[in-house]
Amino acid sequence: MHIRKLLLFSILFFTLEASLATGLRPIEGRVYEQGNGLPMEGVNISVKGTNVNTVSGQDGRYRLNAEVGQVLVFAFVGYVPQEVTVSVNTSNIDVEMRIDNRELTEVVITGALGIKRPSREVGASAEVVGNESLNQGKTVNPLFGLTSKVAGLRINMYDSKVDPAVQITLRGTRSLQRTAGIDGRNPNAPLYVVDGIPVPDISRLNPNDIESITVLKGANAAALYGSEGVNGALMITTKTGRRGRGLVSYSNTTTFSDAYMLPEAQRIYGQGSNGNYDPQSFESWGDAFDGTMRPWGPVLPNGTQPELLYAAPSSDRRLDLFQTGINVQNNLSFSGGDDNSTYYLSAQHVHQNGIIPEDKNNRMNLRFNGTRRFGKLKSSYNINYVQNKKDITPDGPWIGAYRMPANFDYDMIRDWENPNSPGNLNNYFIPNGSWLRNPYFLIDNIRDESNQQIINGKIDLDYEFTTWFSALYRVGLYSLNDQTRSSVRKFQTNRANNTVGTIDDGSNNYQRFNSDLILKFNKEFGDFSTRLLLGQNLRTDYRKSHNISAGNLLYPDILNPDSRVGELGGGAALTQQRSLAAYGEFVLGYKDYAYLTVTGRNDWVSTLSPENNSYFYPGVSASFIASDAIEAIKNTPQISFLKLYSSWNRTGNVTLTPYQLNNSYSQTNGFPFGNLAGFLPDLVNPNPNIEPEFVTSFEAGIQFGLFNNRLNFDGAYVFSDSEGQIFNAPVSTASGYNSAYVNSGRLTNNIIELSLDGDIIRNTDFRWNVGVNFAYNKNIVKELYADADTRYKANFRQSYTFVGEQYPSLWMSDYERDYQGELSDASTENDPIYINPKKGNVVVDENGNPIKATNNVILGTLIPPYLMGLSTQFEYRNFSIGAQFDARWGAWMYSEVVPVMYEVGTHPQTALYGRGENAFVWPNSVVKNADGTYSPNTTPVSNSNKEFWNAQGKIQSNTAVKSDFLKLRELNISYNLPASLLAGQNLIREASIGLVGTNLFIIRHKDNDIGDPEYLYNNTDGYSSFRQIPPMRTFGFSLNVAF
Amino acid sequence: MRTIRYTVILLMIAVTSLSSCKKFLDVNENPNEPGAPTLPLAAKFPAALVSTVNQETLQLNQIGAFFGGYWGTNNQGSSSFFDLKTYNGPAIRNQRGGIPVWENGYNNILYFQLIKEEAIADGDAFYAGASKIMQGMLFLRLVDVYNNIPFDEAVKGTEFNAPRYEDGKAVYQKAVNLISEGINDVKSSPEIGVRADDILFKGNRTLWAKFGNTLKLRALIRQSQAGDQAYIESELSKIGQEGSGYLGTGDNAYVDPGYQNSAGKLNPFWENYYRNVQGDQVANHHIIRPTEYLIEQYLLRNDPRLEKLYVPVAGTYQGVLFGNPDAGNPEYDESNTSALRGPAESSGSPSGLFKRYNQPSVLLSSFESLFLQAEAAQRGWISGNAKNYYENAIQESFAYLQVPASEFAAYNGQAAVNFDNASNKIERIIEQKWLALNSISSMEAWNDFRRLGMPDFPGTAASGINGRPLRFMYPETERGTNGENVAAQGSDLMLQDRVWWDKD
Repeated sequence: MHIRKLLLFSILFFTLEASLATGLRPIEGRVYEQGNGLPMEGVNISVKGTNVNTVSGQDGRYRLNAEVGQVLVFAFVGYVPQEVTVSVNTSNIDVEMRIDNRELTEVVITGALGIKRPSREVGASAEVVGNESLNQGKTVNPLFGLTSKVAGLRINMYDSKVDPAVQITLRGTRSLQRTAGIDGRNPNAPLYVVDGIPVPDISRLNPNDIESITVLKGANAAALYGSEGVNGALMITTKTGRRGRGLVSYSNTTTFSDAYMLPEAQRIYGQGSNGNYDPQSFESWGDAFDGTMRPWGPVLPNGTQPELLYAAPSSDRRLDLFQTGINVQNNLSFSGGDDNSTYYLSAQHVHQNGIIPEDKNNRMNLRFNGTRRFGKLKSSYNINYVQNKKDITPDGPWIGAYRMPANFDYDMIRDWENPNSPGNLNNYFIPNGSWLRNPYFLIDNIRDESNQQIINGKIDLDYEFTTWFSALYRVGLYSLNDQTRSSVRKFQTNRANNTVGTIDDGSNNYQRFNSDLILKFNKEFGDFSTRLLLGQNLRTDYRKSHNISAGNLLYPDILNPDSRVGELGGGAALTQQRSLAAYGEFVLGYKDYAYLTVTGRNDWVSTLSPENNSYFYPGVSASFIASDAIEAIKNTPQISFLKLYSSWNRTGNVTLTPYQLNNSYSQTNGFPFGNLAGFLPDLVNPNPNIEPEFVTSFEAGIQFGLFNNRLNFDGAYVFSDSEGQIFNAPVSTASGYNSAYVNSGRLTNNIIELSLDGDIIRNTDFRWNVGVNFAYNKNIVKELYADADTRYKANFRQSYTFVGEQYPSLWMSDYERDYQGELSDASTENDPIYINPKKGNVVVDENGNPIKATNNVILGTLIPPYLMGLSTQFEYRNFSIGAQFDARWGAWMYSEVVPVMYEVGTHPQTALYGRGENAFVWPNSVVKNADGTYSPNTTPVSNSNKEFWNAQGKIQSNTAVKSDFLKLRELNISYNLPASLLAGQNLIREASIGLVGTNLFIIRHKDNDIGDPEYLYNNTDGYSSFRQIPPMRTFGFSLNVAF
Repeated sequence: MRTIRYTVILLMIAVTSLSSCKKFLDVNENPNEPGAPTLPLAAKFPAALVSTVNQETLQLNQIGAFFGGYWGTNNQGSSSFFDLKTYNGPAIRNQRGGIPVWENGYNNILYFQLIKEEAIADGDAFYAGASKIMQGMLFLRLVDVYNNIPFDEAVKGTEFNAPRYEDGKAVYQKAVNLISEGINDVKSSPEIGVRADDILFKGNRTLWAKFGNTLKLRALIRQSQAGDQAYIESELSKIGQEGSGYLGTGDNAYVDPGYQNSAGKLNPFWENYYRNVQGDQVANHHIIRPTEYLIEQYLLRNDPRLEKLYVPVAGTYQGVLFGNPDAGNPEYDESNTSALRGPAESSGSPSGLFKRYNQPSVLLSSFESLFLQAEAAQRGWISGNAKNYYENAIQESFAYLQVPASEFAAYNGQAAVNFDNASNKIERIIEQKWLALNSISSMEAWNDFRRLGMPDFPGTAASGINGRPLRFMYPETERGTNGENVAAQGSDLMLQDRVWWDKD
């Protein structure tokens, strides 16, 4: 192997002599691909301003003649062009080419059915995120690596434990249904397609295996996937080997995470009640901290009385409960190939220790991807195995952290097994059933375990019958097996702090078989090109889950349902869903600058009744490359590329899960009691006549590249209208049922998406790129259930759906206010729908106490309508710094931590104005005069005590704040070892080291003292709970070596 | 020729694949849960009864216990039941964290509606009649809580998505008629013997008739202040003509499905307010306490039931103030106030409300029936001696609470108890009814207070609240889905608007 020299290298050394020499000289060298060091064939090398050019050969070699001072241009489709000036003594120029995902002209996207298409002919938005960008933050779950990188794609992390879950929506909400389908996918989540096969989930995919993710936005681009593609699709292409020398690469990423951003707590008053200290109280209603030593808890069995310093320590003691989480990822891959076949083999191991002691998650991934050509038959196949073992403690241990007095000492209770520890449940003063049991006891005794194994793979056979006709058969299997165990270890004390031993052993099996047969026809007629795809799809989904449980275990050391008294619990459920489809796509191109695509698909699904189970839906899209078609634009050198596109389609969707057409009965309320059976019907009124719902979408956009594609812009306007939704509509319970399945409900989305990306500096050794993406979505609920005149429905806690408002909206109890003429949507007294984002002064009664309003108010939406991602990349020689910022605004959030902090007196508000009788006048309060006018209030509140603040905590608007934020989501600093260091040896081709961090800082709305608005409790919107652990930030290092 | 052959082959393939396609998609039969046709009525009826009695002994009893002067909470529970303790109507009507009396009530009516429809189709008069009686009871309960409610258009599924409301009085009369129909149906059914699935009366048709009549008497007594004496008289005479009479001594409407000592299968009142499956105290047992007023009333009468009901603290019985105005006062701490007493506090023997994990659930007790008869006799509505009914009722209450029968004479001899000594006989009956129904059918305490203002227990002591709860506001689910009908009922407030039979 030649000693490789980076082009910088040669320039630096030889620039001085550049002017000295003249005349043609032979130049030779090799072209490599950056990132893997593989030689690149077919790169065009030309001498700027001349007709001299050549193409690199199979081993990346080239040779041509040039004069000193002339500039060589290296160009290859999809790569950033490189320019090198020939200098004196130059005879060898080696160049590394970098993949350019931003060059619009020649971008190839992975279209529907996994078929690659030039972006230019696609009449809908598609964005490609490459491996490097995806892995900038070294996330374990690839979906988190996409966060804020694609306009209109919103990703939220929820339950941020060792294995956080993800909420993902593309271009807003289309379905009012939130119930997951048989595959576990939320009705509003996009479709995941890995190498052409739709899979239910990609959270467990090894992100390092991903070559690129093409985001096909909206229903338009994914029309061929029909029902499933109604929310757009993430087309994941995994890596394949390349012809040539084998490549081995290894990487390690080790990061450390810490809890941050707990809600503020007061540090003035300690434990007790009514202003008096109480050694056995956990509520902060005692006297003010005074720095004395005080008895704490009851006297221990050995006769000692624990004592605690009655002072708020300088550090936030609540953080003592949390440890530094550790996340170690090791990744190894081999790839290579010859003329007929390629292979890619990878293994990954991820080990995670959570910020809660003893929380663990281990994941192992193995992947084998291969291709082989047999004459006219091209085959590709892959198999992926994942094992994920999780062992965590469910919510509980950290719940007490929001309630404990500021001086609470976690170290005192850590040793809970010691009978003379204050933390031993025989000594601990917190009653059974309370949230505040000893957290270390909960961690040791309440566990949720899961051992999940996923095997999925595919075989792809593509036979070329003639130059214009080929057929593709693709079959995929996805199999998931999850063994779960939730257990509570029995513990009996001599006080009332007993814990019942319980166990639930479960197993969940899911299998999907997916098969596609696709016929492809291509033909050109003069200036016209045509392409026709005809396909057939068959799909089966099968799920079987069962569990056995015991609610009263006999012994603390045997966790098994057999060691119980009372009855064995548990059950089994078997679910099946099947579908068939026929689809087609016809593309008509004219002179490579105008394209028209027509699609159609018919689905047959098992979940609808046989009369309604077949449905057809069409789509049409067009794209026009103005920069090729119109001479004037073509001749404008500043404009490199200009494309206009538009599409319309109507996509059918069935969100019904199996067996929902008929009412089923089940045994509840303790039945069966011995021989006595007792069945009750489901309270959702079924409807056997349910039909598919349809989403109509329209999209128009413009894409352009300026200044040799240094500045790229993509803008789109999107409208979608989902009507006649399959909707579990609330009905008056006086009808007997709580809800009914109906085809009703309508949502519209008006969306603007903009992406701008530019190289501010672009030269050989310094590049600074900035990219911004922005999306605004105006989402309106047009109708819920018109037949029943349903005006609003509850979603979750204070999250509601109102006709005429954004979905979902925050609806809360509030104080009576004077509104100052600002009641924006004045309505009659009995109308429940008031809109008022906490405007106006609070009205107090004659005793100076604030009055609670009778009706709730709508504060606003819970999903931010404005999303912005900002990325920046500096590259200077071997250094690069990449940063990803994420901003979202325009919505509200609320927290259930606030009421309990009011109740137990840890909320800062409860201490802000002092405590006791007549302590303060409610800020900016007014009294209502007899004539209906308002005057400023001067009467202090009657008593700033527990009863008063507990009541304020129940006023829900006190728990809500604006959820606007801007955060530094990812930071990656890396250094590539220079070629000179690696010279003289044959082993290591490339090496880099780097620092990586996520969530490094956040700017929140000034009123937000609740937490990080991104972290959600379960699959909710804008809701923060004490059940979720606090947000965390991570920081660490990574190492990559290629052999 | 060849073309024809190919066409035929193609057609055959097409036809075969079409039919196999149909078969391929035919996987939508639920293999996990039965549908209505699979299940006999005997597999549905007990579940509907248990669901109804659960609402009666948990949700409704709890509301009644707080609004009827029985229960408060100690300091440790000052934040629990906050909406009930502060008469917070808007919060109670919430879907989340509210109290779904409406929803559970109509769901239960639906369960019996489906049984009734199937029984009528099968010609089974027993199930049809029993379902009508139960539906009547459930409609009456809903009027007591909300006043105007849907009746004719109720529980008809999507036929009436937004059912029309009817006047509370009209619903009362229709519900009473429904119970009358039910009694006739049950009596017209052939002798059915002992039925295990009738976990209320084991197939005893006479007890069903007595139960129906008692429900009707309760509905008529409720109207004592409403001023339509003619209606009351005519209904009483129908009950008289029917002839089965009312539940008397020993006749209890107890639902007994055979509770088991497994999590979720214990008697629900036991499991919710006393002990869990492992025998440990549950959260409610830690925090729920009698009011000071209630303790005073038992003490005033040297009532032997007091020691069966509560655990003494330092030799005395200590109650709390309903509404926790003084949440920091150690006097009202958990350890300084009297908890409900059960076997664990009575050397393992049954005590007061808690006897054993599998005790039956009380739908309507003999003593409530006897107090109703006492009041009706005192008002001259029915024949019989009011004093006898009154004394029998107290004796039945003693029996229920494990007070030895021998203690009755001394108790009854006291001036504060003896019927003859009372200047206001109705008040005396209501006082004793209130003491007897404590935590058992607490809803009746709130109903009697609204009707007669007796006994005069204090309202909430929470700050800044004036008035007493008179009804529930219509629930949020109903306002969102049936808004026009709700609005048509006019003012919808908890502390100002009365149900129709509540005249002052």
